[in-house]
Amino acid sequence: MRGLGSKGLAAGCVLVGVVLGVAVVSLVWLPYDPADTSGGRLVPPGGEHLLGTDKLGRDLLTQLMIGARIALVAGGGSVLLGGVLGVLAGLAAGFATRWLDDALAAALDALIAFPTLLLAMLVVAVRQASLGSAVLAIGLAMSAVVARLTRILVKRVLAQDYITAARTSGSSWPRIIAEHVLPNIWPTLLVNLALQLGLAVLAEASLSYLGLGPPPPNASWGRLLHEAQATVLTAPVGAIAPGVLLVVLVVGVNLVADGLRDLAPGRSR
Amino acid sequence: MTRKFAGVAVALALALAACGSDPAAAPQEGAGSGAATIEIGSLYEPQNLDNTAGGGQGVTETFNGNVYEGLYRLTDAGQVENLLAESEKVSDDGLTYTFELRQGVTFHSGKALTAADVKHSIERVSAEDSQSARKSQLQVIKSVTAPDEHTVVVKLSSRSISLLYNLSYVWIVNADVKDLTTGEDGTGPYKLGSWKRGSTLSLEPFPGYWGPKPANGGVVFHYFTEATALNNALITGAVDVVTSEQSPDALAQFTGNPDYKVAEGHSTTKLLLAFNDRKAPFDKPLVRKAVSSAIDDAKLLESIWAGHGSLIGSMVPPTDPWYEDLTKVNPYDVELAKKQLAEAGYAGGFRFTLDTPNYDPHPTVATFVKSELAKVGITVDINVITADEWYSKVFKKRDFAATLQEHVNDRDVVWYGNPDFYWGYDNKQVTGWVEQAERAKTAEEQTELLKKANRQIAEDAASDWLYLYPQIVVASSKLSGYPVNGLNSQFYAYGIKKG
Repeated sequence: MRGLGSKGLAAGCVLVGVVLGVAVVSLVWLPYDPADTSGGRLVPPGGEHLLGTDKLGRDLLTQLMIGARIALVAGGGSVLLGGVLGVLAGLAAGFATRWLDDALAAALDALIAFPTLLLAMLVVAVRQASLGSAVLAIGLAMSAVVARLTRILVKRVLAQDYITAARTSGSSWPRIIAEHVLPNIWPTLLVNLALQLGLAVLAEASLSYLGLGPPPPNASWGRLLHEAQATVLTAPVGAIAPGVLLVVLVVGVNLVADGLRDLAPGRSR
Repeated sequence: MTRKFAGVAVALALALAACGSDPAAAPQEGAGSGAATIEIGSLYEPQNLDNTAGGGQGVTETFNGNVYEGLYRLTDAGQVENLLAESEKVSDDGLTYTFELRQGVTFHSGKALTAADVKHSIERVSAEDSQSARKSQLQVIKSVTAPDEHTVVVKLSSRSISLLYNLSYVWIVNADVKDLTTGEDGTGPYKLGSWKRGSTLSLEPFPGYWGPKPANGGVVFHYFTEATALNNALITGAVDVVTSEQSPDALAQFTGNPDYKVAEGHSTTKLLLAFNDRKAPFDKPLVRKAVSSAIDDAKLLESIWAGHGSLIGSMVPPTDPWYEDLTKVNPYDVELAKKQLAEAGYAGGFRFTLDTPNYDPHPTVATFVKSELAKVGITVDINVITADEWYSKVFKKRDFAATLQEHVNDRDVVWYGNPDFYWGYDNKQVTGWVEQAERAKTAEEQTELLKKANRQIAEDAASDWLYLYPQIVVASSKLSGYPVNGLNSQFYAYGIKKG
């Protein structure tokens, strides 16, 4: 994707914007009440139901719009949680030395080695299956990745001469972090967090597909995919539509991340 | 991940009328094809291989009649016939049964069947730690003795008209084998070949079998966790038959295709919205009736099964002798439901948590129930749980308000006579009728009493019986001799022929 440059960024913004727009609209307007089961079983697209209905007779477009909301909340929430935890842990590890650094690095590697889905199943087993549990699980898994990256970036910055200069001129560590470290690492972190957002959306869909995401009747795209699976031959739109939306959002997020990377200082070629 | 709850699902079965297990088969094309291995596709892998240790529906499907045999056998048509018991004598007071065992029967290990094995086998089902669903029905047995090698005497504390029927679920096992969860030692026509967990379980013909040899050269059960994958396996020829289709939409690819046969038999699997009858608000029959009337069962059935299956209105399926149509007792009527709620003191509705097993169709059904009950002011919080959680939280601890569950057994209305069952329905009259029915001298008397019990539980809306599943078997048209009423749990494989 490298080289798409600003065109890629623009395309990404459009794709993400579409999903974001749908999610925002769903807050104020929906074609049908999501609990309305009067549509008839698996009505084909067209007519009163633009994309048809599901087995229970609920409007598919309505479900998809709510799904956009859930996907964005899950993705955004996970990135927020994973970002905050990850950056804090990464800063701590970045400043640590010797055995403490080794121990933190090993702990992060161990956490990364743990599959997100397995971690999510543990979280769901302890808590209930819910959007919150999904965000918690995905965010925790993500925080390890973010922390490792932050640690490496921090180490690299700390090795620079101007840090030594700042130290000798009497700057406190918090000040060094605020004035030297964070400004130097945020572009890379931002790109990474954008990429993580796409992964988080996919992870939430996987969890919902497995029945570990937000419980019904929440219309997560993963749940819609699962429900449509048995009827894929008779009512293919039910399976295709949430899949297409997932692709749109994830590709969009990746294009944005890519564009941001190209814009990042010191990265442009 | 387990489907259908193990403990309740256990012995399932059938009692179905209709076809026997040997529909007119295509003429055999020589010994070669008759000895072919049959590939069976199923969604129900055993949890373990012991039906008294939570093996679940899967082990019944795989082993019942194939690897293990009982003193009696329940045929695909629902008849009880003699198997390892050659004959029985009943004392005049109905309290002493003397069974003569078939001679020349050996276990797969080579040991000869003796009366001591039968005594052990009955006692392990009724033992303290047994998880068998038939356990409570065998409590009537006071003692089992083995006066000689081939005679077993069972003494009862009261008459039990269902004793022979209940014994058809008791596997006769080798008394010397302590752990049957990973191995087996039965007397059936097949012995266990290999079990690759999560994948396949193969059965090989047992050369020392006392009866007729299986019509095939062995069977392999292929386990799937997902119906689409299972159907694909049938299309690609990886399996020859699917024991139980769980989605009507998959049928479209098989109906009208000459390469496949679709058989719709009867099932005994009921989908229940089971209330915790001990706890408010569901301790009030009026509240339960209101909930039953607020849910449009016909629409739900159409949503899930698209024209297959049927409504029952109570616990008894049409294939049980004491069936009657009770769908009118708690009709779908939203206004009636509102009135009943108001009368019960819940005019403003209420809120409850619905514990919902995480496998299909429960989450979809829960969604429907939530949307229906919202119309009468009741808010449903759906709590999705695994089958294991269901067993510990709902079945064992009774820590629930209401739950969804499939109850697969036939003749299981009697559980409403047990106030200790997980749903906690406690009506002295019903308990009395169920007890008397068991002690009945004639089948007519038993039928009359259980009909009364069935009507009463419907009047009290002890649970909400949402619908009765269809039983749909799809097989390659080259296959014959498979059970069509296969009633979910048992699936006799010895008559199946290919070609």
